[in-house]
Amino acid sequence: MVAETNNLGYTDIHEDVVRSIVKTGPKYYIALATAGGTTLLCFFFPWFYQLYYGIGAAGMNHPGVWGTYLASFIFWIGLSHSGTLLSCVLHLTNSSWRKAMYRSAEAMTLFSLVVAATYVMVHVGRPWFIHWALPYPNQMELWPNFRSPLMFDVMAITTYITGSTIFIYMGSIPDFAAVRDRTSGWRNTMYTLLSLGWRGTDKEWHRLHWAYTFLAVLIIPLAVSVHSIVSWDFAMSIVPALHQTIFAPYFVVGAIYSGTAGIVTVMFVLRKYMGFERYITKLHFDNLGKLLLVLSLLWTYINAVELFTSWYSGTSEEYEAVGFKLFGFYAPLYWEMILFCAVAPLLMFSTRFRTSFMPMLILSIVINIGMYTERFLIIATSLPRQYLPDAWGVYVPSAVEVSIMVGSFALFTTLFLVFVKIFPSVSMYEVKETMATPKLGSVAPASGSPA
Amino acid sequence: MTSNVVGVFADPQSALTAAGNLKGAGFGIPELMSPVPIEGVEAVLGKKKSAIKNFTFFGGLIGGIAGFALAAGTAVLYPHPVGGRPIITMPPYLIITYELAILFGILFTVVGFLVSSRLPAIRNRVYLPEAAVDKFVVTVPYDDDDHFKRAEAILSNAGAEQIRQLGEED
Repeated sequence: MVAETNNLGYTDIHEDVVRSIVKTGPKYYIALATAGGTTLLCFFFPWFYQLYYGIGAAGMNHPGVWGTYLASFIFWIGLSHSGTLLSCVLHLTNSSWRKAMYRSAEAMTLFSLVVAATYVMVHVGRPWFIHWALPYPNQMELWPNFRSPLMFDVMAITTYITGSTIFIYMGSIPDFAAVRDRTSGWRNTMYTLLSLGWRGTDKEWHRLHWAYTFLAVLIIPLAVSVHSIVSWDFAMSIVPALHQTIFAPYFVVGAIYSGTAGIVTVMFVLRKYMGFERYITKLHFDNLGKLLLVLSLLWTYINAVELFTSWYSGTSEEYEAVGFKLFGFYAPLYWEMILFCAVAPLLMFSTRFRTSFMPMLILSIVINIGMYTERFLIIATSLPRQYLPDAWGVYVPSAVEVSIMVGSFALFTTLFLVFVKIFPSVSMYEVKETMATPKLGSVAPASGSPA
Repeated sequence: MTSNVVGVFADPQSALTAAGNLKGAGFGIPELMSPVPIEGVEAVLGKKKSAIKNFTFFGGLIGGIAGFALAAGTAVLYPHPVGGRPIITMPPYLIITYELAILFGILFTVVGFLVSSRLPAIRNRVYLPEAAVDKFVVTVPYDDDDHFKRAEAILSNAGAEQIRQLGEED
């Protein structure tokens, strides 16, 4: 790590980051317009159509009353899991390679959560009543049912959005201050407000270090709890194939898995199109690749356990559920998922593969396609296939649902594009820490120590 | 209006030495400004303690109590027995407790950070924009010219690139 950045000085990273914010080329506007336009067309327009004509516009109906909206919700919550969680773990374990990439990873968390929360609105059909989920008594003095996993969800996700927002903001304060000094006009006003008057005094650094560490310690168990709770939305029902104790770790591992793959995708894009080649290096892809490999093995193991427990239960409805999943209507999707998420990642045993950018990008996208399929299968193979055969059905998403799914990726991209122009997307002060400190009257030594 | 003598250094070690010498010469505790946290500040300028941990701890505690009170209290206010099970059911209510403990822990940590680092800054304070890029700055208040000359000597001995006078509003 140090060997790769030590030929860069403090001013280099400063210039590069400020440039990434203030210098905007036509390509950026084209990308933003495309993403924004797609969001409007594929996400908001079908949603308004659904609001106007009713929830019947979506393909959800008895017995498949849950559909891609919930699958996407799990997917986006899952994608959010790597950023802040990974950043916290790497911060506490003093891994200096985290420093060049964590800011954008955390932004990914934040925006995935925003998209996930929007999906809840889409799914409920009448989003103007969303406040019914908040803890306050209605006119009959009845409070919400805190025994319901859906209420756990409300609590966990609001806490998670709050925590992730604060975490990314806290870590950015020194960088806002640095950018503040280099900008003018409305940007200067914005950064002056955001940086709170940060000066970088020894006292401020000390306070920031401790506050940041405490936040990291609080957010790790929070992130784990969030996806466990999402899994209980399903596991606490008595639907065959959903009522499993393995579901919480299954969801958490799956979430970190798809989130890490998402980080690889975002790192590739930042590196290639935002000019951060010198900071996001092969080392990051190598380390992320190792992490992905471990997660893929864990994920494969949990899938095997899930099949085993279903078989070991010895009940006909569980046999039926497993049989339907492996050989039924959705079987091609199931095997596609196994191929993408369990077999393809084995390529990462090769160091050459892990340190090649393009193959890693392709693999990371493939993994996320597989993970989306996993979430879709959880919903599509369970609810429409419960105990009584005369109540069976097949769920197929409608055009509105497919369009909103595509649109949600555009929504995420739009938010991320706005982010890279407001936040310093590489943490300047922490990258500086990994560089050799300037020495009086001498050139920086060949091997500095990471601060 | 307090007057400050400000020394700008190119490397953290000389800035730290200057700060230590100023402290040793009987000036007030100097303030360092730097683009990155400087290692070894505490060894020179004394150990720092912050109240943030108390904020985090009591935040978490208050949040936990509030969370449990919310879940259990509302169940007691409007009892709705289900299948003969207890009104206050521990496993689900502990989840609410856990989430709110973390939420309040986070919010109180932020308050603790703002209070203990005196941010957001309301008045103008000594600041050099170079300190956010690649310079290390030592600031110490002085009373009269004699004081200033002594501080200036200490700073230039330690290898300051520039020495300036800056005022600060009280």
